[in-house]
Parts: sequence; structure tokens; C-alpha cells
Amino acid sequence: MSTATMGEKVTITYNDKIVRRFMGASLIWGIVGMLVGVVIALQLAFWKLNFDTPWLTFGRLRPLHTNAVIFAFVGNMMFAGIYYSTQRLVKARLASDFLSGLHFWGWQLIILSAAITLPLGLTRGKEYAELIWPINIAVALIWVVFAINFFWTLAKRNEPTLYVAIWFYIATIITVAMLYIVNHLSIPTSLIHSYPIFGGVQDGLVQWWYGHNAVAIFLTTPILGIMYYFLPKAAGRPVYSYRLSIVHFWSLVFIYIWAGPHHLLNTSLPNWLQSLGMIFSLMLWAPSWGGMLNGLLTLRGAWDKLRTDPVIKFFAAGVTFYGMATFEGPLLAIKSVNALSHYTDWTIGHVHSGALGWNGFMAAGMFYWLAPRLYGRKLYSESMANMHFWIGTIGILFYVAAMWVTGIMQGLMLSETKEGGTVLTYTFIQTVNAILPLYHLRALGGLMFMVGMVMCAYNIWMTARGTKPADATAEVFVEKVEAKLGLGRGIFNAPVLTCLGIVVFSTTWAALPGIWTGLSILGLIATVALGLMHKEFNNQSWSDWHQALLGASLPFSTLVLVAAVIGGVVQILPTVIVNRADNLEGVRQIPYTGLELAGRDIYVREGCYNCHSQQIRTLVGDVLRYGDPSRIGESIYDHPYQWGSKRSGPDLAREGDGPNKKTNDWHYRHMLNPRDLSDGSIMPNYPWLETNLTDLNALPRKIEVQKMLGVPMKGGTPDEIKAAALAQAGEIVADLKNARIDVKPDRELVALIAYLQKLGKSEIIAPQSPAAPEAKTAAK
Amino acid sequence: MFRRILIENWQTTLTLVSFAIFGVVFISVLIRTMLAPREQIQKIANLPLEEDNE
Repeated sequence: MSTATMGEKVTITYNDKIVRRFMGASLIWGIVGMLVGVVIALQLAFWKLNFDTPWLTFGRLRPLHTNAVIFAFVGNMMFAGIYYSTQRLVKARLASDFLSGLHFWGWQLIILSAAITLPLGLTRGKEYAELIWPINIAVALIWVVFAINFFWTLAKRNEPTLYVAIWFYIATIITVAMLYIVNHLSIPTSLIHSYPIFGGVQDGLVQWWYGHNAVAIFLTTPILGIMYYFLPKAAGRPVYSYRLSIVHFWSLVFIYIWAGPHHLLNTSLPNWLQSLGMIFSLMLWAPSWGGMLNGLLTLRGAWDKLRTDPVIKFFAAGVTFYGMATFEGPLLAIKSVNALSHYTDWTIGHVHSGALGWNGFMAAGMFYWLAPRLYGRKLYSESMANMHFWIGTIGILFYVAAMWVTGIMQGLMLSETKEGGTVLTYTFIQTVNAILPLYHLRALGGLMFMVGMVMCAYNIWMTARGTKPADATAEVFVEKVEAKLGLGRGIFNAPVLTCLGIVVFSTTWAALPGIWTGLSILGLIATVALGLMHKEFNNQSWSDWHQALLGASLPFSTLVLVAAVIGGVVQILPTVIVNRADNLEGVRQIPYTGLELAGRDIYVREGCYNCHSQQIRTLVGDVLRYGDPSRIGESIYDHPYQWGSKRSGPDLAREGDGPNKKTNDWHYRHMLNPRDLSDGSIMPNYPWLETNLTDLNALPRKIEVQKMLGVPMKGGTPDEIKAAALAQAGEIVADLKNARIDVKPDRELVALIAYLQKLGKSEIIAPQSPAAPEAKTAAK
Repeated sequence: MFRRILIENWQTTLTLVSFAIFGVVFISVLIRTMLAPREQIQKIANLPLEEDNE
């Protein structure tokens, strides 16, 4: 376990070419992603900007915006920052130029594929996880390339100790891999389509375990690592408290993974999970603000630079936005606050204060710091960078303020009642029209932020133009590590085993009855006593273990993985095991027919979930507007689940059943021009659904996969399946004919109407009744 | 009814499990961090500032 060292001076040539590439890609894709963001913001304000064109509609462009900003803009920025700082922190060139190049070009190809497939409507229908399965596999492979390159560099390092920024990078690589793989588990039905293996509440929980941590682990932890490296560099002084950064790291990595269920508060998610999500979110206040204060206090004594240095300006504002966003996040995770904020634009404002203020400004600060060093020339224009800062800041404030006001106003209006709380005061469309003017301000704010980013790209382009950048070299005095802590001794030792014993016995004490409670208490006392005795007699070994762990990436990474896995296992496994169709009580969804499934796939393709939820919460406003609260069983066969996260339009959970049910001709006319039936609607027209043919040939395979997933759909031969779908379509067509609408049964609009009319249809099941025989057979 | 007790309610103990795990992890990290040698902490904190001749 001991590490002997000997000194040696070596010259290192860093691979800065890859950093320049990732920085350039981040700027280009950032502008593209923000431009799409401005377009969709304008589409909400002016519905005609959807141009009645499939690939230009809001539902298809919003996933392009979110994916471009998260994975293309922040992803490329993150890789640039990680590769630059890691090489210098571990005093070694990146392990493989080939893997670095493969990582770069592979990632750009993935982004390009996403930019093509998403507007075409090729999607998995889950937020931030929309990309189709072949691209998912490519993402996983390129992530592995990144991981190999990174850990190989750590293995070759000349600096024995791992700085805290490296810890954040390790956590990012491990946790993102785990989250991405689990949430993207699917069974393909064709080369461009698949169904996720989880359905209903299970899918919702897995989705937000992933979705929340897309924010936490992809947009936060690597950027914190970048903060802990670049902020001290820019300020010219070490981080305010390194000890605080260690506590910040472990608390954040451990707590973040548990907080996902706060995206499903007041829904039919089991209550214990909602409580868990809420409380762990509240606990996040402490480490997040610890990190923010650590960042801001690093600038102590360097505040004078704030007046002149754009890098410090961006970093100071970025860290402040981190603090504001991480204050607002737990606030929104409080169940009663969430009752007002959820499904409204308040959440959108919260996300953008983090994405624009934290990610966008940290990226800009890092780029302005890097450019002169990567190109060996002074920044082209400091005043332009300062201008970028101010236009960006004002843009964020416009955006966020507009979203706060719209979110709170719409939330209050939607829940306002009169006549003793028995009647709603406003219709949904009235609330939309009330917030519409603020959508203009939001679009203006987004546009200003994008203009700032264009200025940044131009400034860096002009800095780089005409230069012949070379890779930086450094002569460093390195400490060769002769012996490192192995995996076995890193994990299986007295400190770790003592902690494990305490956890196990505390748990059994809380969970088990009778004599086991007493035995657990005895076990707990014995573990603590043995641990203390061991430490008393082997104090040096406990100390050595911890010091060695700081320089041993393998056991360190394993412990990070354990911290990340625990949250997922405790939350997801019970839900997957228990909340299945054959354990349900109360109501159970009636499985879709072939035509309804085809209609559902059209609903997913058009991205309807980007504006419509399918979940009635346990709140007065929801119940009065849409009916009884949704129950787990009502969406148990939905692969993917479609509970949604935002309501720009009303909830559709019971669209086909109950007081909100519409006629077939209402849906037909509404899809062609929503304003004919709902004056003031901001929904796009969908004229192509009237002419597009429903893909009935794909149905046999789709039904086969649904049955594999445990959905008791009615099967049959391909001809029987198609005939059944056309027969059901024929009934809808006949009904439409009564309303003087002439349409052929094989059109997509007919399938979509079949699906919409099925929403909310469920069967009552008696307590403890066995599941339907067909369901059991299918599950087997 | 039995299904509710045997299958579903056991999950509520998982909230306690979560806090037990977090408590142990947090306190262990906190103690270890506070006891770490000052010289070593200062050395690591200065890693980003070590000179290179870029």
C-alpha cells in the first residue's frame, strides 16, 4: 500500500489539437442548438412559424434543441475542458492520439445523425433520450473510447495524486455510462424503431433517474471539475478550500443519483419514492452551495480583475448562476411548490438559468481563457468578449424572468377555482393566451444569448485565424509511483468493511422485526467496536489507505460506481419487481389494438409529449379539469411511458374516456387546424397526417415486440393483424362520413384518432384477482 | 390485502436504508477529510497552478 517516490525531470508535449477541435465543435453546435431554441421559442409565440411542415414543427424541433445543447454544445465543451486540464493535472500527454481522434469524429457523427433523424421524426419518445437505437449504440461505443483514453492517460500519469477535478471527471464517465445504458435498453422492431423494455411507471422512474442525472452528471459534475481547474488558473490562486471540494464531491455524487423522482411528484408514482426524491433533493442544497461558495471564494483577493478580465466575469457569473439554479432546483422539488410549478414554464426557466448561466457562461469563460493559450496569440477583442458578457447576461435575465412569470401565472390560473372550489375559473386556452406576450420576451432573451455566442465564436475565430498552433510542451518534475493501491486492497480493507457493516446492520435494524432487531443492534455495536479497535491498533494503515486511495484511480472509480449504483438499485429494482400488471389492484389499462398502437407511434413521432402530458396529478386543479387522479395501472402497458414534463397544451390521460372525450370528427378537424375548434390555440397544423399512409406492414413485428415486453396484445398472422387494423379504421371512417368527412381508412390521421380515443380506457380489477390469463401468458 | 403488506409496504423501509447509507458515507468522508494532513491538502490544491512553459 505504501508509495515510494523518486524524482525525475521530463518534457511532455500535450495533445492540444484535440482540445482545439472540441472547442471549435462546441462553438459551432452551440450556435446551431441555440438557433433551434430561438426558432421553437418563436413557434410558441407565433404558431404559423411551424409552416405546416413536418420536420419544422415544434414537437420534432424541441428534441433537436435539447439534444444539441446538452450533448453537442456542452458535450464538446466538456471534452475540451477535460482533455486540456487532465493532461496538465496528471502531467502526461493523452494516452492515444488515435482514440482521441476517434472520440472527436465519432461524437460529431453522432450529433450529425441526431440532427438528421430527429426532424425526420425518428425518436424513442423519451426526453433527452430520443435518439434511435443504432445511434444509442454508437454513443455507448464512443463513450467507451473516451473512457479508455481517459483511464489509460491516468494509468500513464506522472503525478501520483489525483486532483479533485479528476474525481469529477471519473464520476462523469462512470455514471453517465450506467445511466445511458439502463435508460436506453430497448427491443428493436426495425432499423429505425424500438420499444423501451420498461413501461408505465417503471419507464417513468428510469427515465427521470436518467433525465435528472443528464442534468446532474452530464451538465454539472464535469463542469464542476472544469471549475476546480480553470477558476484557480484564472484567479492565479488555489481553490479556497480543498477540503470543502472533497466533501462537495462525495456528497454531490452520492446524493444526486437519488433525486430523480422529484420529476414525478404528485403523480401515481409510489409515495415513498416521491418522498425520497424530495428529501434527497433538499439535501442537495448543502453540497451545491458549498461548491458555489468554494468557487466564489477562490476569487478572494482577485475581485479587482472582475472589472477588466472577461474570463473572471464569465466564471464569477457562471458560478453564481450555479448557486441560483441549485437553490431553485430543491425549491421546486418540494411537493407543495412542485404542485404549482410542475408542467409549467417555471421549470423551463429553471433549466435555462442553469444551461445558459452555468453551462453557457462557464463555456465562454473557458474558451476565452483557452484561446490565447491554444493559438499563441492575444485574444482578438477583449471588448467584444465584455460585450458578449453583458448581452448574454441581459438575455438570460429576460429569458428567466419571463419564464418565472409565465410559470407562476399559469400555475395559479390553472388551479384557481370558484363557487366553493367546485368549478375552475379559467379554461386551459385562457391561461395560454394570458402568458403569450411573455413568450415574445423569452424569444428575445434567447436571441440575445445566441448573438453573444456568435460574438464569442467570431472572436475566437479571429484569434485563431492565420496562426499555426502547436502543441504546448512542459518540463515537469515528476514523481514516479513505484507501488499503487490495487483494487483488492483498495476495496476490501478495514475502513470500507466497517462502513459496510454499519450500513447493513442499520438497515436490518430498521427493516426487520422481532429478534432480528435485537441482533441487528448487537451487530451494529460489534461492528463499530471492532472498527474502533482495529483503528486503535492499526491507525497508520487506515491513514495510509485513504492517502493511497487519492492516487489510485481503479479502487477510487469502483467506490464512485458503488455510490452511484446504490441509488439506482434501491429506487428502481423494487419498482420493476413490484409495479407490474399482475400485481395491480384497482384499475388496469386495456391493451392497445394494432391500429391504436400504430396511432400511438405517430403520436410519439410527432413529439406530442413535448406539449401534452398523460398524467392527472392528485391536485384539485388537475382533478377538476381532467378527472380522477391517474393510477399506476392506467399506463402500465405504455412502452414508452408518455406522462410528459410540460403542458403547453392540456393533459390527455383521459382524452378518450370521461367528460373530456371528443368525437372522431372533432379530432379530425382539430388536427388539421386546431384553431377551428379551440380559438387561440398555439398548436401546429398537421395536414400531412391526412395524406400519409399508416405503416400497417410494421405492425406484426411491433406487436410481437410488445408481447415480448409483457403487453397482452392480440396477435395473429400478419394478414389478420392488418385486416383487424383496417376493420377498426373502417368504423372510424364510417363515423367520420356521418360528419361529412371523407377520408381513407389507411391514413395516419385515422390511426391517431383511434389512439386518442383509447386514452384513459381501463378495466376494473377486483382486489387480489389474478391477472388476465392472456397477460400472464404473455409475461411468461 | 396480504399482497399489499408482503409485496408493497416493505419498500417504505428503503427510505431508511437510503439515509443509513448516506449518513455513514457522509460522516466517514467528513472525518477523513478533516483529518487529512494540511501539507498534503495544500500540495494537491496547488496542482493546477504548477508552472508549464506553454
